[in-house]
Amino acid sequence: MERKASSSAAAVWAILRKECRSEWRTRYGLNAALLFAVTSLAAVSFAVGPLGDRTDILSALLWVVLFFAALSSLSHAFVREIEGHTLTLLRLVASPTAIALGKLFFNLIFLVVIEAVTVPLFLLLMGGPPPGWSRFLAMLSLGSVALAASCTLVSAIIAQTRGRGALFAGVSFPLLLPVLAAAVKGTRAQWLGGTVGAEASILLAYALAVFGVSLLLYDHLWED
Amino acid sequence: MSAAVAQPVTAPLALEAEGLMHRYGRRQGLDPLSFRLAAPSAVVLTGPNGSGKSTLLRILAGLLRPTAGSATLRIGAEDLPPSARRLRVGFASPELAFYDELSVTENLVFAAEARGLADPRVAVATALERVGLAARARDLVPELSSGMKQRLRLAFALLGGPAVVLLDEPGSHLDDEGRASVARLVDEQARAGLVILATNDEREMKLGAQSIELRRRGLGDPA
Repeated sequence: MERKASSSAAAVWAILRKECRSEWRTRYGLNAALLFAVTSLAAVSFAVGPLGDRTDILSALLWVVLFFAALSSLSHAFVREIEGHTLTLLRLVASPTAIALGKLFFNLIFLVVIEAVTVPLFLLLMGGPPPGWSRFLAMLSLGSVALAASCTLVSAIIAQTRGRGALFAGVSFPLLLPVLAAAVKGTRAQWLGGTVGAEASILLAYALAVFGVSLLLYDHLWED
Repeated sequence: MSAAVAQPVTAPLALEAEGLMHRYGRRQGLDPLSFRLAAPSAVVLTGPNGSGKSTLLRILAGLLRPTAGSATLRIGAEDLPPSARRLRVGFASPELAFYDELSVTENLVFAAEARGLADPRVAVATALERVGLAARARDLVPELSSGMKQRLRLAFALLGGPAVVLLDEPGSHLDDEGRASVARLVDEQARAGLVILATNDEREMKLGAQSIELRRRGLGDPA
């Protein structure tokens, strides 16, 4: 059986493309995420109008909207495979690590798409001081990476359990709290013209730690 | 011969089980079992419902870790660990499902690309031709009948010409022509490598040169 040199990289790439194609055809998570983001921002905008210089509320609201908009898809990365009975197929063609990396990269792309719509709409409707773009984008990028890595890991862990919906909330809360806290704090700091180095370091270190733990765990997750 | 068709095994291939056993919690899934199989050959696995046929195939495919004992796939001087078996083992069973939002070809191309096959589209076209599903290649999976889905599972198992093919109830949902295809495929695979069929269908039992009979009373008796 003739094979390419790096079957692991090929597997990650194939899974990422499959995820994108499946999402594009079903719009399983995208429509729900965008609906949540647009509706919640419109509702808050109608209720309280532009928040002006309330950077504490602005930064918290931005991450709450991004987090909950993305959550329906991020938490279901593996659940969809269980409910569609396709996990056996996946396990027969790729290693657990390759599967998880493919899902992680898809979750990152998914977050970027959500942010591409949500962030401009947020800035338009909520007002606020002009962002320091480089620091603002750094916070968005690092927060997204940490969020995607954490959610992918939790989603993989709870996928084959009973009561996985409740479990996701229980397991992910302590894991995601440091991410959201650092992202909110750093986002506020950039609006106030301060430095974001400490928060960026926390998010980067956290993302790397979760990623490292994930690589160690993934190969043992689905051994019956 | 194309890279996508079963290639004769050039190095000696052996599949060995030593004290292989599995439990699902308190329930015994597979009684301790030892055997040694060498390619080329076709082996029929029989036994009553719940005797452990599917469990054994899942262990051999690397999908299930045995509670005790070991299964070793040896090609030449190399022992392939369970994690590496997926690249050399083809597997089809009734539990195998495909992505509804993808077509027949897209599902198989995805599988071929993920396995790192050098020419995925050629491998897929060859596999579909072998199981008689080429005419439905562009259909979405939900548009297929039960028999067509079974052919898709067989095409998946044959993708890239694996050295070992594990087939759980390969003739289920198939018409006479489909069953004839299974017989032909088993014959071809038995010349090129190793094929193991789990079945209680008398017509399929005749396809094997050897047999393993799981003698438990079945229905997953509590031990």
